[in-house]
Amino acid sequence: MTFEYHEPRELGPALDLLARHGQDAHLIAGGTATVLLLRQGLLRPGHVIGLRRIESLGGIARTSDGGLRIGAMATHRAVERSPMARAYSPALTDAFASVATIRIRNQATVGGNLAHADPAQDPPPMLAAFGATVTARSSRGERTIPVADLAVDHFTTSLAGDEIITEVVLPPIVEGTRAAYLKFLPKTADDYATVSVAATLRLASDGTVAAASIFLGAVGPTPIRARRVEDALRGRARGDIGEAAALVGEEIDPVDDARGSSEYKRRMARVWTERTLAQLLR
Amino acid sequence: MKFTHTAMVAVPRAKVWAQVMDVPAAARCVPGVASVRPSGNGKYEGTLAVQVGPVRLVLDGDLAITARDENAGTAALRAEAKDSRVGGAIRATMSLALAEKGGETEIRIETDLAVMGRLGEFGQAVIKRKADQLMGDFAECLARQASAR
Ligand SMILES: Cc1cc2nc3c(=O)[nH]c(=O)nc-3n(C[C@H](O)[C@H](O)[C@H](O)COP(=O)(O)OP(=O)(O)OC[C@H]3O[C@@H](n4cnc5c(N)ncnc54)[C@H](O)[C@@H]3O)c2cc1C
Repeated sequence: MTFEYHEPRELGPALDLLARHGQDAHLIAGGTATVLLLRQGLLRPGHVIGLRRIESLGGIARTSDGGLRIGAMATHRAVERSPMARAYSPALTDAFASVATIRIRNQATVGGNLAHADPAQDPPPMLAAFGATVTARSSRGERTIPVADLAVDHFTTSLAGDEIITEVVLPPIVEGTRAAYLKFLPKTADDYATVSVAATLRLASDGTVAAASIFLGAVGPTPIRARRVEDALRGRARGDIGEAAALVGEEIDPVDDARGSSEYKRRMARVWTERTLAQLLR
Repeated sequence: MKFTHTAMVAVPRAKVWAQVMDVPAAARCVPGVASVRPSGNGKYEGTLAVQVGPVRLVLDGDLAITARDENAGTAALRAEAKDSRVGGAIRATMSLALAEKGGETEIRIETDLAVMGRLGEFGQAVIKRKADQLMGDFAECLARQASAR
């Protein structure tokens, strides 16, 4: 494994390096995913660009409109322990706290998590359910991508090769919105999800569902939005959710693996969607 | 790992048969395949480039038609390839069946795929989906080519 390691202190030079070396360059943030790939020889870049010294990529802060900005280099642990993130929503800190172990969470970054795009990861479905966006910068400019549109396939995002995620921005939460993240872990507590469900729900004054946003992890090549369930919930009263939750089966595409057969995951997706909704409507 | 892919082509079976048995031409229907050439004894060598997220694999190997029955419209193929840089290999056996259905031809490909070495690290879900995409594109491309002829 031989490559040239760069560790710029500013974003500009990092973007220049990335533009100059193209496919021969690879970004490294916390390194939890990248170091494994480098060690196995699956990645053989000529240049590795470390992001950890770029201060502008760090930090967690409320935005002026009541939303939340998480810098790409914020670690999972930092989000999990951030009073500002918790004030935004405890479901958000729950999603970050359910990633692997403290050692991993101390190292792994939010930007790295989103760029890695393993469909079994915890934060992406929750961020998507909150309607979060990522800001991507390149030497060509800046654009905003909804987290829901970032992953396009297993380990594949819609980011261009010269783009760096600089931040994740969560919009202000509409008054009365409830949120939850539930991760089904039949094996060990530090495993990837067998199925996970992230949901936000808002009730109208008459107690019926006014709005719902539901994303599932680990049951398709990307986080999957359960649109049929969302549609079926709208206008329904609490206690009336089993039927809506059952529709999740039409949205997902789980595969057989060590965490269970696709049939089992389908059943668990329905059970955990119903559980998540029940928790939100309690 | 087993997959089945089917595609319908609005072309008689004999035409599709001729097209599929022209291995170098048919192989161009697999996205990422480069330079397929005969290597004797009914074998062909070639390379297949696959990208999984940030990882690019180049599989070098060969493909052989191990059985063919034109009357029945069936054939068996065997492919073996390895990425020596990464250290991993694949072995696939495929059975192809062409069935005439009301003037059209159904192409059916059953694949049994084994993945060895480091490539296995990607996990079944990813490998299955990649193989699925490749075979799906292959069947579609055959259908397009056959109708264009
Ligand atoms: C043992 C283990 C267990 C795990 N368990 C879980 C789990 O239960 N739940 C879960 O959600 N995740 C889990 N993960 C995955 C973990 O969340 C990711 O590995 C991690 O989030 C990646 O972040 P990183 O900062 O370490 O990224 P890196 O490894 O540094 O980078 C990952 C990828 O993102 C790219 N990248 C990094 N930063 C940026 C950026 N700012 N802009 C653009 N591209 C960028 C890199 O080039 C690389 O391709 C686990 C990982 C390990 C090793």
